[in-house]
Amino acid sequence: MQLEYYLLLAAALFCIGVFGLVTSRNAIRVLMSIELMLNAVNINLMAFSNYLDPQGIKGQVFAVFVITIAAAEAAVGLAIVLSIYRNRDTVDMEQFNLLKW
Amino acid sequence: MTDFWLSSAWLVPLYPLAGALLGLPWSPGIIRRTGPRPAGYVNLLTTLAAFVHSVLGLLAAWGQPAQRLELSWLQVADLTIALPFELSALSLGAAVVITGVNLLVQIYAIGYLEMDWGWARFYALLALFEAGMTAIVLGDSVFFGYMMLEILTLGTYLIVGYWFNQPLVVTGARDAFLTKRVGDLVLLMAVIALYPLAGTWSFSELADWAEQATLSSTTAALLGLGLIAGPMSKCAQFPLHLWLDEAMEGPLPTSILRNATVVPVGAWVLIKLVPVLSLSPLVCQVTIAVGAITAVGSGLIACAQIDIKRVLSYLVSAFMGLVFIAVGAQQAGAAFFLLLTYSLAMATLMAAAGSIILTCITQDVTQLGGLWSRRPITGLSFLIGTLGLIAMPPLGGFWSMRSLVNGLWQAGDWGLIVVVLGVNWLMAFGLMRAFALIFTGPVQVMSARAPEPIWLMVIPMMVLTGLTLHIPFILKSLALLPVWQAAVSSAGLLLFWSAFMGAVIGYLLYSNRQRFQPKLLPQWLVDLFAYDFYTPTLYRNTVVLAVAALARLGDWLDRYVVDGLVNFVGIASLAGGETLKYGNSGRSQFYLLTIAVCVVLVTLFMGWLYLPVPLGDL
Repeated sequence: MQLEYYLLLAAALFCIGVFGLVTSRNAIRVLMSIELMLNAVNINLMAFSNYLDPQGIKGQVFAVFVITIAAAEAAVGLAIVLSIYRNRDTVDMEQFNLLKW
Repeated sequence: MTDFWLSSAWLVPLYPLAGALLGLPWSPGIIRRTGPRPAGYVNLLTTLAAFVHSVLGLLAAWGQPAQRLELSWLQVADLTIALPFELSALSLGAAVVITGVNLLVQIYAIGYLEMDWGWARFYALLALFEAGMTAIVLGDSVFFGYMMLEILTLGTYLIVGYWFNQPLVVTGARDAFLTKRVGDLVLLMAVIALYPLAGTWSFSELADWAEQATLSSTTAALLGLGLIAGPMSKCAQFPLHLWLDEAMEGPLPTSILRNATVVPVGAWVLIKLVPVLSLSPLVCQVTIAVGAITAVGSGLIACAQIDIKRVLSYLVSAFMGLVFIAVGAQQAGAAFFLLLTYSLAMATLMAAAGSIILTCITQDVTQLGGLWSRRPITGLSFLIGTLGLIAMPPLGGFWSMRSLVNGLWQAGDWGLIVVVLGVNWLMAFGLMRAFALIFTGPVQVMSARAPEPIWLMVIPMMVLTGLTLHIPFILKSLALLPVWQAAVSSAGLLLFWSAFMGAVIGYLLYSNRQRFQPKLLPQWLVDLFAYDFYTPTLYRNTVVLAVAALARLGDWLDRYVVDGLVNFVGIASLAGGETLKYGNSGRSQFYLLTIAVCVVLVTLFMGWLYLPVPLGDL
């Protein structure tokens, strides 16, 4: 019953990521939380690939892609944060509520 | 050739209609340069044509059986509405009376409305009345009669409201329309209910049907009550009598016409319905009760009025009450007889009253006096109209009331005989009171200089007086009078004495005002009669109050409940939008939270529904 533990771990990590995503006031930490969630997904992929598809290991291929895309996404995200910071001089998420009702 | 005049007598109502249309262009707004008089002359010509046609038709119809002809009006599915005409000596005789009185009234109005600009409207409405009335008497269908009665109700509204810049005219016209309308509507209910029962609306077929009809007593009673409700309002019977008093605000020539012919035409429909009414003894009793109460009540009111037009208008109600008594006692012949003698006498009285009003201006009899020496012709007309209306032999009123009393005598209705005698006494008293106040006693300021009016008014008044005087001869030539010896019955004597005593007492009490101020009754009782039993207050506190309260309630319900409900939907949507928009907080983290929560909820829901293993087994 190894798979369940991995899955539970990944779910816990995902939940921690979600928690960090919706509570952090710092934009950088929001990006970090997203990284946590992506890593939780990667754990899932690796676990499934190991236990259910040991021959094809398509999950590992997926995980490689996810890591790649995550890196690109983090780069773009940081760039966005920087450009917002240049205009508004802050990275506090509570200050970015201009587009309301 | 005579046959042609009879068979084409249904054209009679069309002459005055044509006159009305031809006269209307002389309304002040259309032909601006000639003045309104040609409208009157045109209508006089068409009325003359209608009169001549009716007379020729009557001569042709004399002694002949009734001719019937039918125009198909409407045919839908299995309902055929025909407009049947009955051309008999009776209906043509009524048409002759109507067109004849109309002719005289129109000549009279040329004199009376000398200083008025609205002739086109006035004569068009007179012609509308003439057309409607002749259509009712010539027609032979209760449905057709109902239609005409409604048109006449509209006509009453328009003609009472002739001088509509006077506030009392406007309220009077309103009351006249609404009161008559209520009666008409109840009549409509009965007319509609009659068709499934009898299968016909024709008076003559209804009479045949009524002979072998087997109705439950409730049905017959309700039907009959509906049928008398229309004539009750038309004939100004209690409690629907206030309108006639207020209709005296209209021009005087129309009052002549209304009192002498329009009101009796309502009774005409009632008399024609006697076979149907006699199906229910209850209806007959109600008719008699309404007639008796109205006759006595209006007689009392008439004795306490100070307005000459209103003295006469309450006597109209009183006399129509006698007609109702005759109808309730199922004496159709006596009722027609009463109508004939009444309409000529009342027209004479009203014409005389108009002759006084035009030159003395006031209508208040207490401000008039001493006119006999200077107004002999008007005085004679008033006197003869009085004698013709009350049961004073040898004039017409005596014979018609005698035929009614004779019928009651044979039926043994002693109570009703007492009522008729009492009403006769009251009418004699009231009319002689008015006569004494106007024509005897000291000259007062308002009657100091009072000439007889223009010949255009005197001639019709004299012709009407002459007709009233000639009624006994006409009746004799028609063999409607009994021989003189038979007239000296106890019924005849009682009638004569009641009229004689009423007239003499009324004259003696009021002819010597400077020496003797008659104070017959306590003041509160006099006020009660003078104010018409406070009928306006009664209306205002019962029907008007209830309808107004209901209307206000309905208005409130519509304004606040119905409108409110619909508006609430709109307001709720607005408020929903206004409050729900705060869900767009502008914070991306809040949106992410929303997404996460929704995903969890959807997952739980889907898992609950579609998970192969029930959760309990896990």
